[in-house]
Amino acid sequence: MLKKVLAVTLFLSGLMFSGGCSEEKAVSEADMSSSSRDVFAMDTFMNMKAYGSNADIALSEAEERILQLEEELSVTSETSDIWAVDHSSGAVVDVSEDTALIINKAIEMGNKTNGALDITLYPVLKEWGFTTGDYKVPDDNTLISLLKNVDYSKVHIAENTVTLPKETEIDLGALAKGYTGDEIMKIMEDNGVSSAIVSLGGNVQALGSKPDGSNWKVSVRDPFAPDTDMCIIEVADKAVITSGNYERYFTAEDGTVYWHILDPKDGYPADNGLVSVTVIGDCGLDCDALSTALFVEGYDGAVDFLRSDPSFDLILVTDDRKIYYSSGIADCFTNISSMEAEVISLD
Amino acid sequence: MTKGVKLLIGIVVLIFSAAVVFAVIGLKKSESTWVEIVQNNKVIYKLDLSEEKDRTFRIEYPDGGWNDVQIRDGHICISDADCPDHTCIKTGELRSENIPIVCLPHKLVIRFSDEGAGK
Repeated sequence: MLKKVLAVTLFLSGLMFSGGCSEEKAVSEADMSSSSRDVFAMDTFMNMKAYGSNADIALSEAEERILQLEEELSVTSETSDIWAVDHSSGAVVDVSEDTALIINKAIEMGNKTNGALDITLYPVLKEWGFTTGDYKVPDDNTLISLLKNVDYSKVHIAENTVTLPKETEIDLGALAKGYTGDEIMKIMEDNGVSSAIVSLGGNVQALGSKPDGSNWKVSVRDPFAPDTDMCIIEVADKAVITSGNYERYFTAEDGTVYWHILDPKDGYPADNGLVSVTVIGDCGLDCDALSTALFVEGYDGAVDFLRSDPSFDLILVTDDRKIYYSSGIADCFTNISSMEAEVISLD
Repeated sequence: MTKGVKLLIGIVVLIFSAAVVFAVIGLKKSESTWVEIVQNNKVIYKLDLSEEKDRTFRIEYPDGGWNDVQIRDGHICISDADCPDHTCIKTGELRSENIPIVCLPHKLVIRFSDEGAGK
């Protein structure tokens, strides 16, 4: 009898002990306190989360930096660098270091992607109404005449001065959030934060890993059902940046859907087989620029790029509902959609 | 069976039932669905959707404007608003931890909160 009692007691204390373990874990997680901050800037919703004792200071500095960058890079604020450049009528304009750095990167990425990224497309984007929400399909003559001034190679930059041809206008919308992510990560590190994650309108960038040492789980939206997630990848110290045709689009009277990522070749929405491109890498600015450029280039162009620079990882979704991902993330990729997913073959 | 053994059994049974009760309470809490409604970084509501009654209430934005929040059958959405783009309404019900309902013009965010976010 006594043995039975002992056995039951041991069993029960075992139960309680196992309960105690998870309690302990909860407490240690609470010690590593997190702070969160929402920022409404750059025409999008941003959320930042940082861990540790300096989290609040870092978040406040990061918020200030976001607002500063918005002020420099905004295409609509009359006091921004970009406004000054776009309204310069061909004169030389002094810009901030941030603006100069991003323009240089834009030109570099334009060169690397056969012109698929072109920051001088802005007047065409305006004509479609993607900048205001007053959408319309431009007539072909208007597009042809606007495209005459689209050529990023005519952007002249020397140190911190920029010169544009008279009718040309630029917009750094395809790069600004990526650069902002990088700058936030720097501020976090400077403040001794080793664990942080930000989402800048869907662009995710992570510093380090979670405080418990595990990787961050980042989800990517399903382009065919943008209110649900398509896959989850686990990352540390990476930017995960997506360009998708679901982000901004309109349906014309004849039922045709037009989206905001335009092909510099014809000024029409880029329709080269991809509906979503996610780029995963160390640098937010690179990933942001590439996600747009590779969307424009299509599947073959994206795979060619991956061959030439395997330091990035990609998740591509084709318009026939298939997911292709690069082998570098094969171990940390989980498909939660009904689409088929397969590894990109580089052979 | 001695008195001591009976007492021991009694104590063990008592501890066990207490543990079961605590475990059930604990489990229930972590399975529940907590959401927070945040206006310009200020948490103005923290709700357990599994406990909330069906209702619709209006949130005013201090600089002008409003959003109607609807809770129905344990789900939350913005059912109406006077913002120009209506993106918050189009988002529909809150479903994903990673995709909050956002009204940019009114700086309003509805999202699952850390307290038992279903994980």
